[in-house]
Amino acid sequence: MSVSLRSVPPPASAPRSPVRLQGDPGRPLTTSRGMSRMARQGLALLLIVWFALPLVPLVLWGLAEQWSFPARLPTEWGLGGVSSALAAGGAEAFARSLTLGLTVATIATPLGAVAARGLVNGWAPMPRTLTALLFSPLLIPAFVAALGTNILLLRAHVPPVMGLVLVLVAMAVPYTAFVLRTAYAAHDVGYEEEARTLGASRRRVLWQVHIPLLTPALARAAFLAFLVGWSDYIVTVFVGGGQVVTLPLVTASAASGVGNDAVVAVLSLAAILPPVVLLAVLANSRWRTEGAV
Amino acid sequence: MGAIALAVAGLLTLNACTTPDSSSDTSTLATYTEWNEVLADADGQTVDLWMWGGDEQGNAYVDNVLTPAAAERGVTLNRVPIADTGEALNRMLSEVQAGRTDDGSVDLVWVNGDNFRTGREANAWLCEWTSLLPNMELVSSADPLLTEDFGTPVNGCEAPWNKAQFTFAYNSDVVTDPPTTVAGLLEWAEDHPGRFTYPAPPDFTGSAFLRHVLYSVSGGYENVPAEYTEADFVDLTPELYDTLAGVAPFLWRGGDTYPADSDQLNSLYADGQVDFTMTYGPATLTQLVEDGTYPAATKVLSLEDGTLGNASFLAIPANAADAAGAMVVTDTALSVEQQVAKADPATWGQFTVVDYDKLSENDLSAFKALPESPVVPSFDVLSTDANPELAAEWVPALDEGWRTSIPAGR
Repeated sequence: MSVSLRSVPPPASAPRSPVRLQGDPGRPLTTSRGMSRMARQGLALLLIVWFALPLVPLVLWGLAEQWSFPARLPTEWGLGGVSSALAAGGAEAFARSLTLGLTVATIATPLGAVAARGLVNGWAPMPRTLTALLFSPLLIPAFVAALGTNILLLRAHVPPVMGLVLVLVAMAVPYTAFVLRTAYAAHDVGYEEEARTLGASRRRVLWQVHIPLLTPALARAAFLAFLVGWSDYIVTVFVGGGQVVTLPLVTASAASGVGNDAVVAVLSLAAILPPVVLLAVLANSRWRTEGAV
Repeated sequence: MGAIALAVAGLLTLNACTTPDSSSDTSTLATYTEWNEVLADADGQTVDLWMWGGDEQGNAYVDNVLTPAAAERGVTLNRVPIADTGEALNRMLSEVQAGRTDDGSVDLVWVNGDNFRTGREANAWLCEWTSLLPNMELVSSADPLLTEDFGTPVNGCEAPWNKAQFTFAYNSDVVTDPPTTVAGLLEWAEDHPGRFTYPAPPDFTGSAFLRHVLYSVSGGYENVPAEYTEADFVDLTPELYDTLAGVAPFLWRGGDTYPADSDQLNSLYADGQVDFTMTYGPATLTQLVEDGTYPAATKVLSLEDGTLGNASFLAIPANAADAAGAMVVTDTALSVEQQVAKADPATWGQFTVVDYDKLSENDLSAFKALPESPVVPSFDVLSTDANPELAAEWVPALDEGWRTSIPAGR
């Protein structure tokens, strides 16, 4: 018997359509209108300004060949900062950071999912202790954790790059586990049971029902895990042993000298780009309105 | 990065516990006796050079000039940029503490002063290897600047790379009658309220400024013993702090606050908020004036008292995995071609460590043919009457004294 799993019941809130179909209750009560709508949009605009404002000086510095006090704008414009950033190995560092962030996300997201599912479903023994353990990396300052674990990893002859990924994954799992625990708490296993009743294999249920339903939460978790790898400095220096020269390393070392404002600005902007792009992708994905958690 | 200094101190204490006799000479000595053995081992090695990455020209020199030269001798050079040399030390000491004594990930470090001394105290450097390098022949063995590193005997535990001379720079458009002594400089500051300041010690540069004033109020460096004793400190420093407290109200922002580090002072100078800056790396001045960061009228102040001089070195950790390769890189860095290229202000402008008296006519002319910087005079001029550095123990004592004696430091 072949069952079309595509005919799984439609998500709770169907996409809004300008044409009012039969049975459509009309505008939901949660949609604001009038003054409150204006206030909401005004607040959103203020938030955008709030987040964009700090970037303005960065952009200006990135394009400034010369900018001396008390001039309000750069006195000479140019792309010297960009070429200096490339000369400093910015492009290679960017690629390494990207790889590191993606690696951490790829490992920490499924791990977080397993932990979250176990905790929510009550499979896990001693759930309180386990939760405390799982979240402990957030409580210990990264600096202390990096120094302490580094000695252990060195004793165990763990190669620096592997140690680096290991420590960063441990630091990312609390985030992925937290996001996914909330998602699993709201997750309705009814869909999966129905698919099983209709004869789908466990594997098929996992890939075609379970994961699609959890995609928004998985994407959010992966994003946070990516950020842990993308932005790390301390662990990359101490545990990575200089084997992985990432964007934060190049940026920090450039920032420790004088006359490097343009390079530092360009490198910092490059560091902001991937998270912003990922965030935009996350916000605009088609499953945004579905099964929001 | 105070946290790193703290962590290094912590690791040192741990190491001291495991090796109680760390004060006695248990230095790790190079196992090589012949340069040919070094060359054979070095072939194919990858050397990780950990160096402070805040100097764009220095980074470019290593990447574009030194690295290809090392590659010609079969060694791959990999520059690891760090924000603080203490990070390299931290890595080395962690490795040693974990019992990783022969496969360390740091092969070569650009180092001097306090970091070198810290490494010496922990026996973390490889020693007695510099005499193996053929190009060490070009370096004077009697130059006190190269045999002692801030009072710590070098003992073949690091090879000289660059010389530096502490330099005051000023904007000659504004300062038309520049002072000629350190005392005169402080007088100028009193006559021009708000136009002079110095980085707050323990900043490296601010700390060096303290030593200049100490020499000045003591009537010259000859009157300050290089070795630290508490008696000398009590005897010599009250006048230093009285002088600095006296000038404080006339400094930038009335001495209520000081630039936290040399970067901040440099920014104040670049922005025209003060008329003097100071640096232990005058090599960068040429570039900073050329690219417009500093005023075009920037000039180097020539002082009758002379200024402090030091050298920076390349050191190999005792546990380096690629020590032979690191020796070959160091030897390459000491070659006439590399020292000439590095001294060119357009490349890096770092003063050479080779002794002109030991050069052939041909090699000497290569140095003489270097373009002169429009801002920085040649090293011979700059280092006239150079003052020797004090032993490293003086530095924290002077810094702490400043903190307790000068109101804004408290």
